Amino acid sequence: MANETNPLLSIQGISASVEEKQILHNVNLDVAPGEVHVLMGPNGAGKSTMGHVAMGEPTYTVDSGKIIFDGQDITDLTPDKRSRAGLFLSFQAPVEVPGVPLTSFLRAITTGREGLDMKRKEFRKRIRSLADELDMDRAYLDRELGVGFSGGEKKKVEMLQLLLLQPKLAILDETDSGLDVDALSVVSHGMKLYQETCNGTLLIITHNTRILEHLSVDRVHVMVKGRIVAEGDASMIADIDQNGFEQFEQAAANAE
Amino acid sequence: MEARTLNNVSAMPAPTWHWLHMNDATVEVPEGLDAASDFAIDVAEGTAGAFDAAMAAAQEAWDAEHEGYEYQRNYTDEQAEKLGGTSLSAYQQGVDEVEASKDLARMFDMGMGGDATAYLREVAGTARVIEAKRGEHASASVRIAGLDGHANVAALDIVAAADSELDVCITVDSPTPGTGLTGSTIRVFAGDNAKVTITRVQTLDDSWIDLDDMGLFLGNQADVQINQTVLGAGKTYTGLAGDLRGTAANANVVTRYLGHGDQKIDFNYTLRHHGRKTTCDLYANGVLAGTSTKTLRGTIDLIRGAKGAEGKETDNVLLVDEGVHNKTVPTILCNEDDVMGNHGATIGHIRKEQMFYMASRGLSQKQAEAMFVSASLEDAYIEAPNDATREAVVRLGNKLVDGFGELVEDNEEELA
Repeated sequence: MANETNPLLSIQGISASVEEKQILHNVNLDVAPGEVHVLMGPNGAGKSTMGHVAMGEPTYTVDSGKIIFDGQDITDLTPDKRSRAGLFLSFQAPVEVPGVPLTSFLRAITTGREGLDMKRKEFRKRIRSLADELDMDRAYLDRELGVGFSGGEKKKVEMLQLLLLQPKLAILDETDSGLDVDALSVVSHGMKLYQETCNGTLLIITHNTRILEHLSVDRVHVMVKGRIVAEGDASMIADIDQNGFEQFEQAAANAE
Repeated sequence: MEARTLNNVSAMPAPTWHWLHMNDATVEVPEGLDAASDFAIDVAEGTAGAFDAAMAAAQEAWDAEHEGYEYQRNYTDEQAEKLGGTSLSAYQQGVDEVEASKDLARMFDMGMGGDATAYLREVAGTARVIEAKRGEHASASVRIAGLDGHANVAALDIVAAADSELDVCITVDSPTPGTGLTGSTIRVFAGDNAKVTITRVQTLDDSWIDLDDMGLFLGNQADVQINQTVLGAGKTYTGLAGDLRGTAANANVVTRYLGHGDQKIDFNYTLRHHGRKTTCDLYANGVLAGTSTKTLRGTIDLIRGAKGAEGKETDNVLLVDEGVHNKTVPTILCNEDDVMGNHGATIGHIRKEQMFYMASRGLSQKQAEAMFVSASLEDAYIEAPNDATREAVVRLGNKLVDGFGELVEDNEEELA
């Protein structure tokens, strides 16, 4: 159960839109430190939008509500400041950045972060050991960020950044989508490591229950048409696996 | 010396709209610069007059191969008169005239041309000769340093005889503070089957102007690779012209550039395909930051008779700052039907989804821009052909990026 008195992330009555089309409707969601939450729902429910709004993507306009993270109102903070405050968003489709070697990027994102601004040798050692841990060819470290990487390699790079930055809370947006079995097991391993080594807090966005098999889930939130329509404990996952989202879609239709 | 204005520099062979202000460049040489030609070169002086002798021999061979050949004009005088005398552009008339002369020396152009080549020759005096004799494999390094209060220019004739290989690396740097001008004016002769590689890396501080002037002549199956890296100088002007004269001659030109601060960068490339099955590839890739401006003119001229020739030109530029200004004009001129010419340009800002991705990992717009600048310098360091060039890149890098030297040292350790 979420610790209602002291959540790490508290999304309070958030409504958000893009180009005047409202996507999120009065969303409330609390995540306590150290917990694993899952945000589920059918395709197009607004789950990814929720993750991106939490991270502060400028494409979306927050029409009402606020986002409190680690006791601070971050609703008006830029994404870089949210990141430096300890929030992390793993992308469903990580972008490519030609011209920037992965190592240079990793160094840039750790520079100036308390506790992470390592000495040079230590930094190299750290990213190499993370690459090994994630079964990632070290040669990728010298390649341009994302350019020519397979879907699986891109997701491994997301996991590498998660473990390198050690955020207080990570939102993983469909990290499991489009992965083969091997890549999926590496990603699961990365999530487990994050929990173990950083006492990590996770908000996992997915419509697939498979990635949750090896995780101890504390709370499940179901989103349909931009609204949270149901919440419960981990037992909901088996129910959704069995019966799908139809039951919730009906509830959403009633709420409109 | 008095201030001078060099006009009609790096002019496009076939001009475009004048209002675009990019048909040519004007170079303002500040007053008070003394002339110097003080540069280091690590090989013995080649044979005096080697370039002109090689051109004369090439003319003789060409005449022998083309006995009875007459250039077919775009229009005869009679046709032109019938069409009212206005049917040919000044460019076409010029080409007709020079091609009909069958004079290879007359058709040999320098990339900057105009007043600039004359100025550079005047400052530098007699050209030094770097030479690879028939069948030889030779290499040379040249260092040109900014001299405070001077225009310091190197004139070089690079002559690779038939079946030879010649690598020349030119470093242009400002290891000591000052203001002034640096430059090089280089004639390159690549004989039949010769392989020539010229790498020029420029890492001057902002207080310098750099003029890089080059002309190429390629014989049968000659292969010329030009690598140009422009990282510094307040104003840089690069002009390269080439005559792909021999059958199956090939020229590759790779340009990497970084614009930062208030820099002005001007590139002009003109490659003329005369020989059958000649090929060229002009590839430019750069990053513009701050309020820098860049102009690139790239002309591939497929002259009548160059059957089977193929030319390609590309400019990829990333604009990482709103204040930058970029102009790219790729031009393919074609007077032969059995040829192929391709051009492309990718000009773009950091896309908003890229910026959001980088921001979500903690990078502000400014930090992201700095990262692109740093990555360009790292790339130049990795590609540097020798220690002197690496040192020069580190010297400039440390001025632009905090801890740049330490950063690349890491790469060294990694490589070791």
